Amino acid sequence: MKFISNAIVQASRNIRAVWGSQLMTFVTVSLSVLIFSFFFLIYINMIQAAGHLGDNLRLIVYLEEEPNQKMKEQYRYKITTYEQVEDIRFISRRQAYERFRRQLGENSDILADMPKDFLPPSIEVYPIKSLRTLARAREFSEYLHTLPGVDRVQYGQEWLKRFYFFIKLLRIVVMLSGGLLILTSVFMVSSTIKLTILQRSAELELLRLVGASNAYIRTPFLLEGFFQGMLGSTCGLAALYLFYAWIRSRFSIPEIPGLFDFTFFSPQMAAAIVGASIILCVLGGILSIHKYLRL
Amino acid sequence: MKGEVTTRVMVDLIKVTKFFPPDVTALIDISVSIQRGEMFFLVGASGAGKTTLLKLICNVEEPSKGLVEVAGEDLSKLKPRQIQKLRQRIGVAYQGFKLLPERTVAQNIAIAMEVAYKRKAVIVNRIRDLLLRLDLEDKHDTRVRDLSRGEQQRVGIARSVANNPELILADEPTGNLDGETTGRVMELYRQCNQSGATVIIATHDESIYTHTTHRVMELRGGRKISLTTASTTP
Repeated sequence: MKFISNAIVQASRNIRAVWGSQLMTFVTVSLSVLIFSFFFLIYINMIQAAGHLGDNLRLIVYLEEEPNQKMKEQYRYKITTYEQVEDIRFISRRQAYERFRRQLGENSDILADMPKDFLPPSIEVYPIKSLRTLARAREFSEYLHTLPGVDRVQYGQEWLKRFYFFIKLLRIVVMLSGGLLILTSVFMVSSTIKLTILQRSAELELLRLVGASNAYIRTPFLLEGFFQGMLGSTCGLAALYLFYAWIRSRFSIPEIPGLFDFTFFSPQMAAAIVGASIILCVLGGILSIHKYLRL
Repeated sequence: MKGEVTTRVMVDLIKVTKFFPPDVTALIDISVSIQRGEMFFLVGASGAGKTTLLKLICNVEEPSKGLVEVAGEDLSKLKPRQIQKLRQRIGVAYQGFKLLPERTVAQNIAIAMEVAYKRKAVIVNRIRDLLLRLDLEDKHDTRVRDLSRGEQQRVGIARSVANNPELILADEPTGNLDGETTGRVMELYRQCNQSGATVIIATHDESIYTHTTHRVMELRGGRKISLTTASTTP
């Protein structure tokens, strides 16, 4: 208990001694956490959205001719022997027309002069969840295209490609901003603690002379890193939350049910970010202590 | 205890030599044993090697040759943790004081006790007692930078004895003090010695050792010139 209270007193003394640098470090850590967590938040929401996309993934196989019952059985057999599916639905020209008419709603009268069989018949294939990735969907669609009587296969390829490319890009940005967080936290905290060590060099020499243990000398600097990490990351996350709340209140995010339910970090994730920042800042402290105090 | 032959040796120097590169020889072949509870004077002119000898005893410097033992421990074989523990048992009043000018008198004295995790009440009482004995009771909250040299010297002395160390090393402890204050300081050391502490005082102030009953070792040019024996009467 005495050890901890001594360490806290010394750590607060350190913080007061070079408060200008401490403030700079605090701001830098906060900004780094803000930048990283901003991109990370977008990334995990996109990943969630990608999961929902997978849930809704279906392949539409357009046929040249309306299949009879026997052909339907053959299609069903050929599809299920190639890949596991959850469901296969055959949509006739008439059903396609009715569905289209319903989708047009008030504007359905534009179909008035159109024949009711102008849309092609199709098969809607719903793969099982484990197969719902872009790569597997592509493979599956290539196979479906080889089936007799198939005109073309659609599953929103272009859109999905762009979406997954965006996620890849976002992953790179998250990694870069994570790297930025690591560098700034470690470097800034390390530099600040170096300044504290230099400012307190006479006192540290005296502490060694009167027999202070390594832990007695080292702990206040580690606490300093701990406080920097904790306060910096908490403020960074708080700023991001305020920004998130403001965005939500000002702009209504396009409501695509089940796709873009833009959420903030879970408490566990926020705690993990704070924890990681603390570890990085303490690591910065350890580096300085090792280099300048040789402890 | 004084003057008796005993195996309870606190400081044992055996053929100790200390060189400082490139060509300074601070101590040559010094051998001496100082008993627990003994008061010992180390005398000689400036540059005689007194300070170097004290630094070897508190392990701030290492000998170039020879052996230094403190409380039965060979200092060259101690691990860092053991050295830290040993230093908590040694109180040193440095010639240059080694005080923290921006801290108060009380904070400077408290450092020695804080590293030993003494209770706050103990620290507060001990500081008050020492300041009273050294005529500094009104300087408790004064910053050290605002003190005179003599006052700073007394703060350093107070810190050296604050933790009730087993071994006290005092390097020119009366260099900046008037006669009356010198008397107070020597009285403090005597009381520490009577309480069982071994006290080694390095000085060139003849007034404090001329009529002493304790042993006096004289150094000159790093060599031991003489070592008197202790007597029961001055």
